[in-house]
Amino acid sequence: MSTAGAGPSSKVKTGSSQPSEASLKRKRGMFQKDLHHMMYGFGDDANPLPETVALVEDIVVDYVTELVHKAQDVATKRGKLLTEDFLFLIRKDLPKLNRCTELLSMNEELKQARKAFEVDEEKLVSID
Amino acid sequence: MKKSKDPFEIAFEEQEESPPESPVGLDENEPQTSAGPSVNLGEDFAANPTVHTTDPSTSSAVPVAVGTSGPIAKPKEDDEEEEEENMEVELGKLPSRGDPDKTAKMQEILAHFTTDQMSRYESFRRSGFQKSNMKRLLSSITGSAKISIPMTIVVSGIAKMFVGEIVETAKVVMSERRESGPIRPCHIREAYRRLKVDGKIPKRSVPRLFR
Repeated sequence: MSTAGAGPSSKVKTGSSQPSEASLKRKRGMFQKDLHHMMYGFGDDANPLPETVALVEDIVVDYVTELVHKAQDVATKRGKLLTEDFLFLIRKDLPKLNRCTELLSMNEELKQARKAFEVDEEKLVSID
Repeated sequence: MKKSKDPFEIAFEEQEESPPESPVGLDENEPQTSAGPSVNLGEDFAANPTVHTTDPSTSSAVPVAVGTSGPIAKPKEDDEEEEEENMEVELGKLPSRGDPDKTAKMQEILAHFTTDQMSRYESFRRSGFQKSNMKRLLSSITGSAKISIPMTIVVSGIAKMFVGEIVETAKVVMSERRESGPIRPCHIREAYRRLKVDGKIPKRSVPRLFR
């Protein structure tokens, strides 16, 4: 698999700093199961080839690494790394941006819903 | 473009007038009707991030994929911080975002699905990166131990859409070469190259020293 995407990814790999090198040495198949289902959902065969899954995993880890590095570059001016930094990075990519804002607001709603649920439960308990 | 009698195609045309946020890739895929409805399905729904599911017809209660990294039926191990219990929150309780028009159209389309299409759609909605794995990856990259939950959610969402772009482009490549079957690494590599040309892959803008 080291020859996979030899051209583009080798440049990226040697250009990246130590931490990502170490993370690339992690065991294979970190996202294997998830990627199986995901690739099927996006149009691949019901049984994607293992080498394809491994390659996509490498690409995704690379992508996330680059994204995080860029976000860190943006964030160092301000201090901590925040979620907003990622949102800033994908601002040009409308589908991704919309999806992320949707996910974040759904997360908020779920949190509210759960809080309300717990409050109700307490009320029930106190009534009893 | 040949007109098939596929119910999905019929319902899809109904939806035509209010196009969702479709990326450019959708246009490339238009002539690719031979690849079957399931591929079009994947593209259309991947292109439509604001699709909202209130579909009660799926018996297994397709959970709203918060963070898209929630595993399907596995119990969550990392219940530390403000972790959600599980996706058992009723879909009905969630206020419908977007217009009821869209959701109605969605349900119309979903009603016409074959089992094949349904299973693929289910995989599409429920698949996601595991939060714990993503968290571990993020902390190893950033070097900081604490990664907030929303950040994991955002990165998982971005990564999932990225996988979608790759797989869809790979399918396009495959149809251009008139091949079929499971996607092979060469297709993925070609897809990756094309995305790079499009500028969708982030790369280091600072040129490396001592090249």
